[in-house]
Amino acid sequence: MSTHDGITDRVGAFGREAVSNGWTTERFAVLGLIGLVLLAFGPTFQVYLFTEFMIIALFALAFNLLYGYTGLLSFGHAMFYAGGSYGMAIVLRDASPYVAEVVGSGIAPLVTFVLGALAGVSLVLLIAVPVGWLSVRLEEIYFALITLAFGMLVFSVIIQNPGGLTRGTDGVIVTLGITEVAGMEFRLGERRTYYFLTAAIVLPSIYAIWRVVNSPFGTVCKAIRESPDRAAALGVDVTYHRWMTFVVSAAFVGVAGVLIAGLANVASPYHAHWTTSAIPVVATVIGGATFFAGPIVGAFVFLYVRWGISRFPALEAHWEFFFGLMLIGTVLYFKQGAAGGLLMLRGWLGDVRAAYDRGGTDAALDYAKESTSERLGRGDRSAEEEGGDRE
Amino acid sequence: MDPSLTPAFVSVSDVVIGLSLGSRLFLIAVGLSLIFGVLGVLNFAHGAFYMIGAYVTLAVTNQVIDNFWLAVLAGAVAVGAIGALIEIGTIRPLYERAEGELDQLIVTFGFVLVIHEAVRFVWGSQPYSIDAPASLAFSVSVAGSTFSAYRLFVIGAAFVVMAGLWLFITKTYFGALVRGTSSDREMASMLGVDVPKLYTAVFFLGSFLAGLGGALSAPLQSTSPALGDQVIIDAFIIVVIGGLGSMFGAFVGAMLVGLMQAIGPQFIAAGHIAIPFLAMVIVLLLRPEGLFGGIGE
Repeated sequence: MSTHDGITDRVGAFGREAVSNGWTTERFAVLGLIGLVLLAFGPTFQVYLFTEFMIIALFALAFNLLYGYTGLLSFGHAMFYAGGSYGMAIVLRDASPYVAEVVGSGIAPLVTFVLGALAGVSLVLLIAVPVGWLSVRLEEIYFALITLAFGMLVFSVIIQNPGGLTRGTDGVIVTLGITEVAGMEFRLGERRTYYFLTAAIVLPSIYAIWRVVNSPFGTVCKAIRESPDRAAALGVDVTYHRWMTFVVSAAFVGVAGVLIAGLANVASPYHAHWTTSAIPVVATVIGGATFFAGPIVGAFVFLYVRWGISRFPALEAHWEFFFGLMLIGTVLYFKQGAAGGLLMLRGWLGDVRAAYDRGGTDAALDYAKESTSERLGRGDRSAEEEGGDRE
Repeated sequence: MDPSLTPAFVSVSDVVIGLSLGSRLFLIAVGLSLIFGVLGVLNFAHGAFYMIGAYVTLAVTNQVIDNFWLAVLAGAVAVGAIGALIEIGTIRPLYERAEGELDQLIVTFGFVLVIHEAVRFVWGSQPYSIDAPASLAFSVSVAGSTFSAYRLFVIGAAFVVMAGLWLFITKTYFGALVRGTSSDREMASMLGVDVPKLYTAVFFLGSFLAGLGGALSAPLQSTSPALGDQVIIDAFIIVVIGGLGSMFGAFVGAMLVGLMQAIGPQFIAAGHIAIPFLAMVIVLLLRPEGLFGGIGE
């Protein structure tokens, strides 16, 4: 018994330290960065998986700017994902020799990558400004339908292969090349190099989106989500604001699209298909659309649960089945999603800690038992009440 | 038919193929439109329902009873039942929610994933096909082109279903309840209509029609798990062009989209994809209620 108490005491003490005031946001950020660097030395596949996670997280986060913060569900964001991919891939394919002539062959691949990224995002803006202007006139289901239609129009343009630019169903192959910076050679397409490159783009992008939603602009977004009529009564130009949100959202999706082209080594028409538009929807809803970090948590669940399922060969081919069930369950029973669940867990751990401060390990264990049974009991009662309502 | 032999103008055979495609699309779209018109739910899983109809018909003819018509009935009824269960279990709790429409869309999209994988699990990924029923396994010559009698039968069936639905909605007591509930849910409820039961019945009917469409299509196209994803997008285009909630609109929209898909590729290579979406965008922008807005009118 005494050793059992000793261990729980020690674990409790560590836990208390981890969440006490000494652990500032800065320290967590430093820890996170160290984690990011350490991960780069992991197995290649894990590095690849985490790179994909960062890209999908940015995709979903940018999508949620429009869905979670403005209340518009787009089923066509794949057009911007593909826009970023193709802008980058076409520049890499067609402009590389010219860039090399101007800046010299050493740094050329990196410069071409940056130019390609700029081209990708510019292309996305070129699409998003008129498409957004037209789409935000519609709401709810109709908005979902018109974005779906625009997305599939972009898909059909890519398939059509205008001027031999997009190579139809084959897509455009992406070769990132070897760049020389300060006397050192980097193969950009190498998994670890690309991992750092992705992190160096995704992290500032996430920070930028965070700044957007916490700016006056973001506050107006939330006001529109809660009640478009009231926002309009307060003098907000709702349609214009939705249009601007649409464009900002699209631009960041474009950044994610640029990155996925480099990771997949191809800009594929599949990136423009409506089934790709469903990826941020699934990730965001499962993660929790009402939280800033919801889409990030959702993207994590999306990629790592999929990876977990792939460990079981019998289930591997059917991972979509489980995401369908998760999607239905989240919408019906737990709208806050996985991020909401994590927050509840954090609140509960805080309560357990408070109990520990009051009366040590025993009090904490008692509280844990009590609150768990209470929650389960309450779950039963609310189920009964719901049944009663139906009568 | 060898495409290189097809002349670059619209031929009778293109029109018949377009109408036959439109007839199948009509059977999905009309159920989708009916459900939206009465319940306000855009059922993303409607294409998956159509696919189940085709698979059940294949399975019943191959393994249970060698009668195509009974298998078609089994397919339609099975899909209707699945639809009703989904409505009761997962759509009904969302009617009262503030942003319920989008939640329902997302839940039904969840069923797209679930059904797609379930079908792949049970029947595998390979495409299946069956022969047309023996009674219709002959050819008919129209204006110099030859068609299977079954293809013409499916076109006729779409017309019959359209007429039957129109009579059902405008002339029967149940149709009056559907129209009343569609225009004012609260009032219908106060006047003694059992709205939840009516909603389930309408969802059953809409799903039944999708299943019927899938079942009748089984001899005309190869059935694979990708089928649902293809047809739901076509169905969305159709109901938008025709008007969400309008059955007549679904009919006209389905025939238009069928013809666009059959004739479009002669003008632009990706025309069968681009032209319907372009039409959808134009209708949504200029006339969001569709060419024939409203139900039953």
